[in-house]
Amino acid sequence: MAYLSMGESHRRITDYLNRFADAINYQDGDSLARLFSISSDTPSLLSLADALNVFQDANRLIKQSEKFSQYGEVVAPFFRSLQSYRLGNLVDAYGAFEKASNAFIQEFRNWESGWALEALYVIAYEIRVLAERADRELASNGKSPEKLKGAGSFLMKVFGVLAGKGPKRVGALYVTCQLFKIYFKLGTVHLCRSVIRSIETARIFDFEEFPTRDKVTYMYYTGRLEVLNENFPAADQKLSYALTHCSLNKEANIRMILKYLIPVKLSIGILPKKQLIENYNLVEYNNIVEALKRGDLRLLRSALQENEDQFLRSGVYLVLEKLELQVYQRLLKKIYIIQKLKDPSKAHQMKLEVIVKALKWLEIEMDLDEVLKDVYGLIKFHFSTCVHPFSRVMLCSLT
Amino acid sequence: MMNQGVNAQTVAAADPNSLESRYAINASQGQAQSYLPSAPGSEAASWTVHKVEGYLSQDGVPANASYQHVQQPEPHTQNVQDGSYVAPLSSSSSTGTASAPQDYNSYTSYSNTTDPYSAYSGYYNGYQQQTNNQYSQQQPNPSYSQPVEAYQNTGAAYQPNSSFQNTGSYAGTASYSTTYYNPGNYQTSGGYPSSGYNNQPTAWNNGSYANYTSYQYPNYTSDTSSAYSSVSAPATYQQQYKQWPEYYSQTEVTCAPGTEHLSAASNSNHGSSLPTVSGGYPTPTNQIQPQSLPPPPPLPPPSLTPTWRPETSSSELPSMQPGGAASGAHDNYWNQPAPSFQTHLAAPTQPIYQNSLDSKTSYENFQELKTAPQGLNSQYPVVHQVSQNYQSTLPTVPSFDARRVSKLQIPTNPRIASNAALGIAKTEKDSYAANSAPRPAYISVSVQKPNDKMSPNNAADPMLKPTMLPKSLRGYVERAFGRYKDDDAKRAACEAYMKDIITEARADGTLYTRDWDSEPLFTVPDSLSISKANIQTPTHASIPNYNKSPVRRSKSRWEPLAEEKMLEKPVSASNEIGKYGSWDRKTFSGYSATKDNSLSSFRFSGPQQRTPSKSAQRPMKRQRIVNGTGLTNNDDDASSDSDKEQSLTAYYSGAMALANNPEEKKRRESRSKRFDRGQGHRPDINYFKPKNAGPANLYTRRASALMLSKSFDDSANQAVEDIDWDALTVKGTCQEIEKRFLRLTSAPDPSTVRPEDVLEKALLMVQNSQKNYLYKCDQLKSIRQDITVQRIRNQLTVKVYETHARLAMEVGDLAEYNQCQSQLQILYSEGIEGCLMEFAAYNLLCVILHSNNKKDLLTSMSRLTPEAKEDDAVKHALAVRAAVTSGNYVTFFRLYKSAPNLNTCLMDLYVEKMRYKAAVCMSKSYRPTVPISYIAQILGFSNAADENGETELSGLDECLEWLKAHGASLITDNTGEMQLDAKASSSTLYMPEPEDAVAHGDSSLAVNDFLARTT
Repeated sequence: MAYLSMGESHRRITDYLNRFADAINYQDGDSLARLFSISSDTPSLLSLADALNVFQDANRLIKQSEKFSQYGEVVAPFFRSLQSYRLGNLVDAYGAFEKASNAFIQEFRNWESGWALEALYVIAYEIRVLAERADRELASNGKSPEKLKGAGSFLMKVFGVLAGKGPKRVGALYVTCQLFKIYFKLGTVHLCRSVIRSIETARIFDFEEFPTRDKVTYMYYTGRLEVLNENFPAADQKLSYALTHCSLNKEANIRMILKYLIPVKLSIGILPKKQLIENYNLVEYNNIVEALKRGDLRLLRSALQENEDQFLRSGVYLVLEKLELQVYQRLLKKIYIIQKLKDPSKAHQMKLEVIVKALKWLEIEMDLDEVLKDVYGLIKFHFSTCVHPFSRVMLCSLT
Repeated sequence: MMNQGVNAQTVAAADPNSLESRYAINASQGQAQSYLPSAPGSEAASWTVHKVEGYLSQDGVPANASYQHVQQPEPHTQNVQDGSYVAPLSSSSSTGTASAPQDYNSYTSYSNTTDPYSAYSGYYNGYQQQTNNQYSQQQPNPSYSQPVEAYQNTGAAYQPNSSFQNTGSYAGTASYSTTYYNPGNYQTSGGYPSSGYNNQPTAWNNGSYANYTSYQYPNYTSDTSSAYSSVSAPATYQQQYKQWPEYYSQTEVTCAPGTEHLSAASNSNHGSSLPTVSGGYPTPTNQIQPQSLPPPPPLPPPSLTPTWRPETSSSELPSMQPGGAASGAHDNYWNQPAPSFQTHLAAPTQPIYQNSLDSKTSYENFQELKTAPQGLNSQYPVVHQVSQNYQSTLPTVPSFDARRVSKLQIPTNPRIASNAALGIAKTEKDSYAANSAPRPAYISVSVQKPNDKMSPNNAADPMLKPTMLPKSLRGYVERAFGRYKDDDAKRAACEAYMKDIITEARADGTLYTRDWDSEPLFTVPDSLSISKANIQTPTHASIPNYNKSPVRRSKSRWEPLAEEKMLEKPVSASNEIGKYGSWDRKTFSGYSATKDNSLSSFRFSGPQQRTPSKSAQRPMKRQRIVNGTGLTNNDDDASSDSDKEQSLTAYYSGAMALANNPEEKKRRESRSKRFDRGQGHRPDINYFKPKNAGPANLYTRRASALMLSKSFDDSANQAVEDIDWDALTVKGTCQEIEKRFLRLTSAPDPSTVRPEDVLEKALLMVQNSQKNYLYKCDQLKSIRQDITVQRIRNQLTVKVYETHARLAMEVGDLAEYNQCQSQLQILYSEGIEGCLMEFAAYNLLCVILHSNNKKDLLTSMSRLTPEAKEDDAVKHALAVRAAVTSGNYVTFFRLYKSAPNLNTCLMDLYVEKMRYKAAVCMSKSYRPTVPISYIAQILGFSNAADENGETELSGLDECLEWLKAHGASLITDNTGEMQLDAKASSSTLYMPEPEDAVAHGDSSLAVNDFLARTT
């Protein structure tokens, strides 16, 4: 870092303060937002941080002028936060930033219109990001990471500011999404419920009026929740909504959505095109789709085994595991078709031994009892109607 | 609360308010105006106004009419004081001033200094002595008697006066005695006072009080028949006796008066110094009353009138040792003051005050107090006025006084505390003395050691007073301290230790018999020094500080060392001592400290006031600790060896007071035990330190300390040690192997807690026991409890929890199992060895089978390490999970049969559901019938040995029963084999209600079992 003169530091700080005051005076939400985006590492903020390190008495500058001092409660902690951030002390940076945010929220509450929503978004985002980083720092120091939790409760407060009537309500969904991110990260997804309720039960505000990006994010997370609950139709609907509204430019986001949408679609019997999987680099689903197509139970199992960790983490493992039955069905269907080719009149009578033999080809040891049990599952799919245990024959009602 | 309470009391109780109101007409205007303005800092004008106010109030307080009469004529000056006083005790103060100026020089000074109270006393005195007219009027008090209640109230307000009287005596010994007597006179003489008095005692019901009254009465009456004294005395008593909290508030009031005094003093130069002293003194008297009533007499010694001595003696006798100690303190106090006082009188105290004021930052606080709308404010305003009169700086001074007063109050809370209060008063005096007189003077005064059995007469001659402690002991103490000259912390520890030793010796009665010269010196472990200080302080804090160690004084260490050295242990005694020391030095820092304390106490007393101290609100336990730490810290702030010494002496005296108490002995024993473990606990203590660290916390700390003392008092001498954190970690002594579980509702009693080795035996016993689960569960829970309270976290802990978890699983007690499981996970994560895999499998099974929470399942699955997945038990659990999620009942029951460890038990809980699912499945998918034998085999009914025909059969029967119970329709086919009619059953299968369901949801608590357990 090049040497920074005191005068230059002073100039930078004053410049920032001026811009801050101007942004508020002109109700310029975008500019204000830029002034808060601490983790964006923009050159202007970085240079400001350096200036702050050189010019330690920024508070005096703030207090000096009436114009700045009224924002002192926001700016002073923000400066501290920026300084700490620059020095790599993320825990302190988070603490100071939360203080600044708190002060800003107080101000925001008093503003009639929602002009500063942009800035608020940035704050909500920054507080989450800073909290995550601070937690990482804490964890690496062997302390218990708790900042993210604190950020969650802080954002809940912000949500309270926005959730009422009026122009600010538009921002509620953004904060909700940040909350989702935090909750999913913390594994406290049950906390999402209260937020969802307040979003979905509010009749005064049509969901469609929210910004699209927030809608997509919201649908993505709620869709994931439905996946966890194994409510596949609802999950399908939400995730499809997210997919169709997601900007095509956001490939990473589309991929995230597909990561959950594909298992959901699979479990309701819709297979994705290979092109899609490859386009979005979701190769872990390749074998699963293939197994479903071929009725290859072995392939499915190995695919699950292979990617177990990944699936477990993303939470789709249990969903994919349930595909086994479909693979089984596919297998039986194949047998049925073969039988039909051989002898159409007896095709509906399937000997269980045949199934066992087929499974053996797949190197899966399964005795008749288990096959019988699996057959039960198929009844759900109206594949077979009944089995006679002694004759070891299954009656297939398929076609 | 306290402040308000005080005000309310003073006002309400102390008719002063009512009087004021009555007079209000007269003074009300002045008061109201003066009051508000005065707070900010009214000057001369405010003074006058105040005077008026005070006047009014005074009038109201005493015998309104008579009093007013008197005052009005005489004391504008009084009014001034009153003004300052007004809020708290305005009436009295005003009177005091009035009287002071008039007749008695000494009195006047007193009255002025004394605040309202002093004013009163002075007033009264003045009345009686100076202004007979007034006095007579008061005495006539028949009017008073009528107001008895009101009078009492006023009495409360007056208390300060009484104290003032004492102070008054201080200023002028002769005068002092007179004043002192006057109070007595008042009480006795004043049919009025007596009546009021009586009322008070009854109301308060304090035994000590009663004694006190009796004491004073007789003495006083004999001495001074003047009604006035009586009035004042009752007032003080009432205040004190009133609920302790109120009591505090009252003391505060007195303090306020004290402040007023200061201000007054400033106005009337000598008067101010005296007043403060007197103020302090009065408080002590109040506090002491139970015990220390005698002490006041000792105080007189300087002035000592023959009459006094007798009184003191009488009082002392009843008061016993404590009284002696108190008296000793007084003596010390007096000793110093006596010379110094006079000097003070001669030399205007103002400069001192100003200094102190300036030095104190407390001023701000003070202002805050002012802002406080309630009583405190009122008092403060008064003070302010006074201070204004003094100077701009002076305003702070009044606050100081108030603070002092508050301090005094605090000590007063506990009876013992009374000593402390005295000590404070002394300190104040000392400080005054120091200020006015060069230290040499101070030194010259020999400290009297309060002898338990010393006759008060000795006190008469301050110089001659023997120290309380035998010479040899003194030498011993010095030796002990000498070793730690340069280590403050150790010194502190040493001091605390010494206190213990001496108190114990006293308790044993070996104080004088023991060969101190040959007594081995104890060593103070470094760690102990702090912890001890902390621990000890809480217990004795209120008492100990006051007495100054005679030994040290005799050596006259005061002069050179005092200023430089820091107080350490005294800290515990704490604030008071510290203040004291500071006073002696003439350093106002000490003074300020006192003020601070008083302030803090103020806050405590009055919740209404803005309490800066958060600690006050904290739970008592913490406070105590905090205090301890705070005290230590304080030492650093400003403590001197002299302070330490003082504290020591104070401690001794306090200890003496306590020594008689058998409870105290016990406590001490336990305390000394604790010291043995002091090091181990140190971390805990330190933990609290940071919070309190920093000068900013001074107030809080002190306040909390005060709170503690209060709490002690309130808790009626409950064992303080019990609240110590460390004390909560019990070291068990119980040797019984068997113990019923009983949920703790209080701190565990070591005698009922089993140590680790016994617990191991107990665990073995349970493991080998043939009794039922309820018994075992009960035993295990008690073992767990003992482990918890002893903070045992090792393999034994794991074993106990594992054992319990297994037992609970065996009987399906999921609630208990879950408790154990969650504890085990914590223990495992701490790296304590155990059956990690086994319980990981259990955990998995539990999640799968019982919680049905997908998210939990996913997380616990993803948490499994690769090694864990290789473990048989975990593998099995994972297989079970797969079977369950895929509904594979065949696999499930196979796994059921091959389950390792106790997995079976957990699966047992899921078997019913699984069987039902299977039955539904079969009835839907099989046509037309399914043989029962097949079902029995698949559903694991013949789980024993398949090759054994009998069990096969019984499994079949069982299956039949089960199917029937679930509504399956069964038919017998041609070969006589039972078949399940799948088609018919598919619509009739149902899940029956569990037969053993009980209302409370836990069949294991069925009545029969429960009864069996109790027998």
